[in-house]
Amino acid sequence: MSRMILVRIGSLMVVLLVLTLAVFMIKAVLPADPVRAAVGAQASEEIVQAKRHELGYDKPLPNQYVRFLGNVMHGDFGDSLRTRRPVLDDINRYAPATIELALCAALLAGFLGILLGLWSAHGGRGSGSARVTMLAFASAPTFFLGILLLLLFYGRLHWLPASGRLSNKHVDSGPTGFLIIDSLIHRNPGELVDALQHLAIPAVCLALGPAVAIGRVLRSSLLDVMRQDYVRTARAKGLSEWMVVLRHALRNASGPALSMAGLQVGLLLAGVVVVELVFAWPGLGLYTQQSIQQADFPAIIGITLVLGIAYVAINAIVDVMQLVADPRLRVVGRAVA
Amino acid sequence: MEIEPATIDSGGNGSGNVVASVRDLEVEFKTGKGIVRALRGVSLDIHAGEVVALVGESGSGKSVFGMSLLGLLQTSARPTIRGQVHVAGIDMLHGAGGVRRRVRQELLGAVFQDPLTSLNPTMRVGRQLLERGIDRERALRQLGEAGVPDPERRFRQYPHELSGGLRQRVMIAMALGGRGDIDQSRRRKKRHAPVVDLAGAEAAELPVTVAHDASDAPRLIVADEPTTALDVSVQAQVVLLFDRLRREHGCAVLLVTHDLGVAASIADRVVVLYGGRVCEVGPAASVLRDPAHPYTKALLAARLSVDGTTVRTDPMPGDPPNPLALPPGCAFAPRCSSATVECEVEPPELTPRAREHAGEVACLHPCSVGEADASTSRVAVTMTRVASPRPAGAGDALELVDVSKTYEVNGGGLGKAKLVAVDSVTLTVPARGSVALVGESGCGKTTTLRIATGLLQPDRGSVRWAPDGGRPQLIFQDCGSSLTPWMSIGMQVEERLRMLGVPKGQRQAKALDYLGRVGLDRRASESKPRELSGGQRQRAVIARALASDPKLLVCDEPVSALDASLAVRVLTLLESLRDDLGVALLVVTHDLAAARRIADEVAVMYLGAIVEQAPADVLFEHPSHPYTQGLIAASPTTEPGRLSPTLAGEAPSAIGERHGCAFAPRCPVATEVCVEETPEFKVRGAGLPVACHHA
Ligand SMILES: Nc1ncnc2c1ncn2[C@@H]1O[C@H](COP(=O)(O)OP(=O)(O)OP(=O)(O)O)[C@@H](O)[C@H]1O
Ligand code: SF4
Ligand code: SF4
Ligand SMILES: [Mg+2]
Repeated sequence: MSRMILVRIGSLMVVLLVLTLAVFMIKAVLPADPVRAAVGAQASEEIVQAKRHELGYDKPLPNQYVRFLGNVMHGDFGDSLRTRRPVLDDINRYAPATIELALCAALLAGFLGILLGLWSAHGGRGSGSARVTMLAFASAPTFFLGILLLLLFYGRLHWLPASGRLSNKHVDSGPTGFLIIDSLIHRNPGELVDALQHLAIPAVCLALGPAVAIGRVLRSSLLDVMRQDYVRTARAKGLSEWMVVLRHALRNASGPALSMAGLQVGLLLAGVVVVELVFAWPGLGLYTQQSIQQADFPAIIGITLVLGIAYVAINAIVDVMQLVADPRLRVVGRAVA
Repeated sequence: MEIEPATIDSGGNGSGNVVASVRDLEVEFKTGKGIVRALRGVSLDIHAGEVVALVGESGSGKSVFGMSLLGLLQTSARPTIRGQVHVAGIDMLHGAGGVRRRVRQELLGAVFQDPLTSLNPTMRVGRQLLERGIDRERALRQLGEAGVPDPERRFRQYPHELSGGLRQRVMIAMALGGRGDIDQSRRRKKRHAPVVDLAGAEAAELPVTVAHDASDAPRLIVADEPTTALDVSVQAQVVLLFDRLRREHGCAVLLVTHDLGVAASIADRVVVLYGGRVCEVGPAASVLRDPAHPYTKALLAARLSVDGTTVRTDPMPGDPPNPLALPPGCAFAPRCSSATVECEVEPPELTPRAREHAGEVACLHPCSVGEADASTSRVAVTMTRVASPRPAGAGDALELVDVSKTYEVNGGGLGKAKLVAVDSVTLTVPARGSVALVGESGCGKTTTLRIATGLLQPDRGSVRWAPDGGRPQLIFQDCGSSLTPWMSIGMQVEERLRMLGVPKGQRQAKALDYLGRVGLDRRASESKPRELSGGQRQRAVIARALASDPKLLVCDEPVSALDASLAVRVLTLLESLRDDLGVALLVVTHDLAAARRIADEVAVMYLGAIVEQAPADVLFEHPSHPYTQGLIAASPTTEPGRLSPTLAGEAPSAIGERHGCAFAPRCPVATEVCVEETPEFKVRGAGLPVACHHA
């Protein structure tokens, strides 16, 4: 098993290398001149040349790539053209908001997905029409869903706030930047409730699609597993139906659902950008959006790499979870005979 | 959970030791095509410590009966159920779910057919055992009792790390859980709570029995085809195990099986089902020695046996009844040679047998004792074909010379290990000849077949086919699934002919001709595979294979999934094809009786190598190799009460280096030289080749 994990980490490295290469190539072919952008339009030709030399843009492409890779490894993505700060600092500043949102959404998606899968596989009353409704929700574009929820809970019911991470009466005073954790550190329940209220709609918005996708896959694999002989054995042992489902069926049905969850992570990350825009959520998505508007390439490249790493890493974690869930997968290349 | 103490029959009082009682059980399933009447009024009492064998063809309702005893019919499907099923006095059909669950946990045990799929693959063996509601110590003891060596280690393993035989033993160990008493266990659970018990004040006085006692076992084990997926050697071991458990724990066993041989060895009583009704029930000895029902008689006659006697003609013409359209009268009437018009009026009731015989039979014209029926008499087959001179210059249909195949697999740690699947096999199938390759699962039979048909390249050695015959045709074990589902049978044969370049105009006639040879008519030819029965599909696959006019048909376990009567029919068909069309046969099987029925020559394989090869009669009458002797002895016969002597252990893994005779660890006559020196496969004392130092 440890060997399989090593193999996974190896392939993760390869994927990341390919990702940096891709980003580098994009950067190289873009018409925008990073040197000119750095020194400003009025700078003299000498200054431009000096800067070009300083940044290594006068060297051949392979050398530039090695240099780029070295910088990336040190976390140096250059300075943002817009904020004039190192891109990494910007990312560090905006990341907690996004991580908090994405993590909550992912947990919610997993939880709702399992619930939905169990419920609809069990065929309880109303599960059929509920499935159709959920499907409709899930296929709606994220921004549409966001606006819908906003209209209902903010516009009509006045239950939840519309934008941002906190109301004006609270200020985020650190230290982690994760509001849920910070408010717990401050022992400030008011702040916690406020943060959660702000989090609710964006997180639900992000979670619904993946939750329904996970739920559907889980449902079909649960239905499959419930027909297996070992489920019959579990029942014959005198376990209650509940135990049969939780102990025997769910784990065996989790493989396809986990794969689906891995796929959904990509969609969730893409959705974050949109949701942050709709809800003015001060995170990486908003930062990206603003960087794109101003053609802030160092920032865009930095974000792309960070999101790419996150995506690959999460999928690696999903793979490891599958290995944990199913001991049979841990045998590499069984005999064909 | 509320249990009315009054409803609990703790055995031994009143109802005369009846553990389970089934009355007029009727079960119907609504399917897309109509109503399947799986059981039509079955009644049966099972007494403590009794082994009842439930036999019958596929689809006769055996499993449905077993599931209804477990009270699980309702969970998997939504059948219509009428009648009554009681276990220890508790209603297993309409009782509260929680109570039925407790009955399953404490009073019943279940063993199912396929031990691999019946255990949860993602849960350690130990945890699955503990779920029975027993403690670790008892779980380990049960593993030991079920014959699992080194229980501590197995406890921590996953099912896929165990062999088939071990997995079935784990299933049996699991079935042994339970306390044999719902009431007692309830009290024991409440040991620390103040005793305010339904059973009254005296109950509080009773000492709590913690120690293991004879009642610490289920009262009834429902075993649904527990040995069908196992090799003969392991099958005999498992049957012995059931026999021991019954004697040591006094638990009753319902043994569901389609093999009369397994039933004969340990059953006290035999119940024969046909079309969802009991057609005969009685003590094993009288049912098996003197069957009264024509169906039982035919079933006995159709059984292939290793002793060399076999049926001359088809003992049971016709097909099993269609569960969607059962006849109004006796379900067996369409196939029965003694049927009269009265038989078709209404289903006959069970009535006691005449004179000295115990038991009951549901037949208007039961066979009288000792009646010789020409159509089902068994005759000793003499293998005259072996003696008949080979047609001059016919050549060989297949010649394997010294072929070997080794796989690289992951060993225990990080290293690679060698798996020798086929080890220097030399085998010749003469033109028009038939050769059977027998051995336990995993011994390399199928790999050899794949090499023989060119599907797999051997690492070493040569494969030669008859010069003008083309590629040998392979017929798989689960061959029904190799048919294209959306194409009619006839089209599939025509398609094969098209690929062979037969002109368009001739294809249909030729296809019908081939189908006719395997006994399929025009109507079958126009059917899609799913509209045919298992036996018909098997024949369709054979017809399709014949279309390429092969010189050799290679069959992988052609009958192991079929009922006795169908098996006989398929083997007879293969034989007639060989005689009429001159196709040679190479049959791989773990069923020795089938091998004896079909083959001129039999080769026995053990761990990738052929250890003995001889004409069928010689091999079965005078086996030289201790392994062959063990296999033949382990095969069940229909002799009531005969427990087959078992071959120790299981086929070992083919991974790793070998020294000496591979069979030595299981061989009863092994000596020092066997461990040191690998016996050569060469002609020895008896004049035939065998790989044993002491043959
Ligand atoms: N869940 C179900 N839905 C519909 N029909 C069913 C169901 N279970 C069983 N049947 C039908 O009931 C009949 C009896 O089935 P059963 O499984 O008891 O046969 P069996 O004697 O155990 O056969 P086998 O030897 O193949 O196991 C068959 O015709 C089968 O198709
Ligand atoms: S009742 Fe009639 S048809 Fe049925 S088995 Fe007896 S003789 Fe044959
Ligand atoms: S060589 Fe020895 S161990 Fe092998 S089969 Fe013969 S007697 Fe048994
Ligand atoms: Mg069955």
